[in-house]
Amino acid sequence: MRTITIANRDGETFEVNSKRPILETLRDQGVDLPFGCKYGGCITCAAKLISGKVDQNRQVALNNRQINDGYIILCVARPLTDITIEIGVESHGNLYRNPFLDPLKPHELKADIATPKEV
Amino acid sequence: MECCGPGYSSPSEAIKAPREKLLYTIAIYTGTGIQKPDYLATVDIDPHSEKYSQVIHRLEMPGIGDELHHMGWNACSSCFDDGSMSRKYLLLPGVRSNNIHIVDTATNPRAPSLHKVISGADIKSKTNLSGPHTVHCLGSEIIISMLGDAKGEAPGGYLHLNKDFEIEGRWENSMGDIKFGYDFWYQPRHNIMVSSEWAAPNTFMPGFDLEEVGHLKYGREIHFWDFEKKEPIETMYLGEDGLLPLEVKFHHDPDSSHGFCGAALSSNVIHWWKDNAGKWQWEKIIDVANEPHPEWPLPVPGVMSAILISMDDKYLYLNNWLHGDMRQYDISDPHNPILTGQVWMGGLLGKAPIVNGVKMAGGPQMFQLSLDGKRLYVTTSLFSTWDNQFYPEIREQGGVMVMIDCDPINGGMSLNEDFIVDFGKEPNGPSRCHEARYPGGDCTSDIWL
Repeated sequence: MRTITIANRDGETFEVNSKRPILETLRDQGVDLPFGCKYGGCITCAAKLISGKVDQNRQVALNNRQINDGYIILCVARPLTDITIEIGVESHGNLYRNPFLDPLKPHELKADIATPKEV
Repeated sequence: MECCGPGYSSPSEAIKAPREKLLYTIAIYTGTGIQKPDYLATVDIDPHSEKYSQVIHRLEMPGIGDELHHMGWNACSSCFDDGSMSRKYLLLPGVRSNNIHIVDTATNPRAPSLHKVISGADIKSKTNLSGPHTVHCLGSEIIISMLGDAKGEAPGGYLHLNKDFEIEGRWENSMGDIKFGYDFWYQPRHNIMVSSEWAAPNTFMPGFDLEEVGHLKYGREIHFWDFEKKEPIETMYLGEDGLLPLEVKFHHDPDSSHGFCGAALSSNVIHWWKDNAGKWQWEKIIDVANEPHPEWPLPVPGVMSAILISMDDKYLYLNNWLHGDMRQYDISDPHNPILTGQVWMGGLLGKAPIVNGVKMAGGPQMFQLSLDGKRLYVTTSLFSTWDNQFYPEIREQGGVMVMIDCDPINGGMSLNEDFIVDFGKEPNGPSRCHEARYPGGDCTSDIWL
């Protein structure tokens, strides 16, 4: 079991099974969360990780900039430690970006096409 | 011609149909921050009604997160001579959830009801497909373009449903070398189908990363199919002229081989036709130039996400979602289109920030034309994640539907000042409207055999 703290819900905490996706375990406990595809392919359920670690190897939706900004895909992510997150669109401040005004650098693309960061 | 099936005997008969009084549009909450289901809105478009220009009914889907998008009928003029068929059910696929909702619009056209849901999980397990998009009926059968496999990877394929909305399996016999799917249209007298390319669901659903175009994760080809053999026979590589080739439309005249595709990112219209030797040819006929923006380092592309052909095949309508204009071209000579009308509504260039008293968020995006070619209904939302990138204020303001008066004789278009539906004022909060259809068939629904 792991403890999930939701920072933007007055720090409410939930005990969850660490082997199941966070979306599922939180919804089972009555947390109202957005979602779409439920397989990690769209970012409708994205949340922001404030502290702790998750395994989200199955997600294919986030680019590396979004990952570096702390976004996680709740429908496939599982907690590896106790975690604190922000949920819902209030946490989506950096998630959406005008691609013409703010281009990605090569290392910020999605994992399958990103090139290593030049030092 | 007297007959008993749905639709009309020909496009010229369709033009003479009575004026539309109701319009259906989908409205989404997916991706907006409002935890409510997407819904089908009925809009009263009868100018003699007290409720004119208002949403008069809302049919909520059973769950949240579908992202309703395009829709199509169980039957159209392709089964005009089949007395056992009627245009009763509207199919509403959820792009993200993969669920397909079958809605009964005939029992009470003003207040449609949910007839059946084909579950997304069932579609995945039986066909390995996801990401439903365009719905066309095909005689008494239904085919739906699916943009990905069950894991959201391209190219996907085509879902085949029977008239009782049971999954028959995959429609196509082969996808050939096709990399991506999106829209399709068929012209049976030439035994041809044309399909276009967006991207894999995993690529476009999270939003638009411009850099992925250069990494070939977005389409730039259109495909010609042997319709009876259900397999692709020829691919047109459009290159830089055809980045993100989205909507494809043939002439309504079933004898014509001419068709058109709007390449969204290139903001070009591609025209194809069969030459005298029987070979398919293509050319670029409209090129919307990128526009400078006072605060952008790069010029703004139009983003031509939709095109529409009037029922008399005389006019082509297109949108520039980022620029903010709707255009009308006379395509009497399809090789040489003439710009005959233009209306500004919203967009990033600041030319029409307020329309009929409503502050616009978004630009012209999807549109539906009356069968007589006189009224064009236009909505402003593209896709939740893409809206959030380019028009973040749409979250608070919602989508809008406006009406443009069109002159089908001499050309020309002007904004109608008496009509506007502000989806920012919906009871559950701002929603976003997208595709629109009329109960009796419209300018993007029917195909003639």
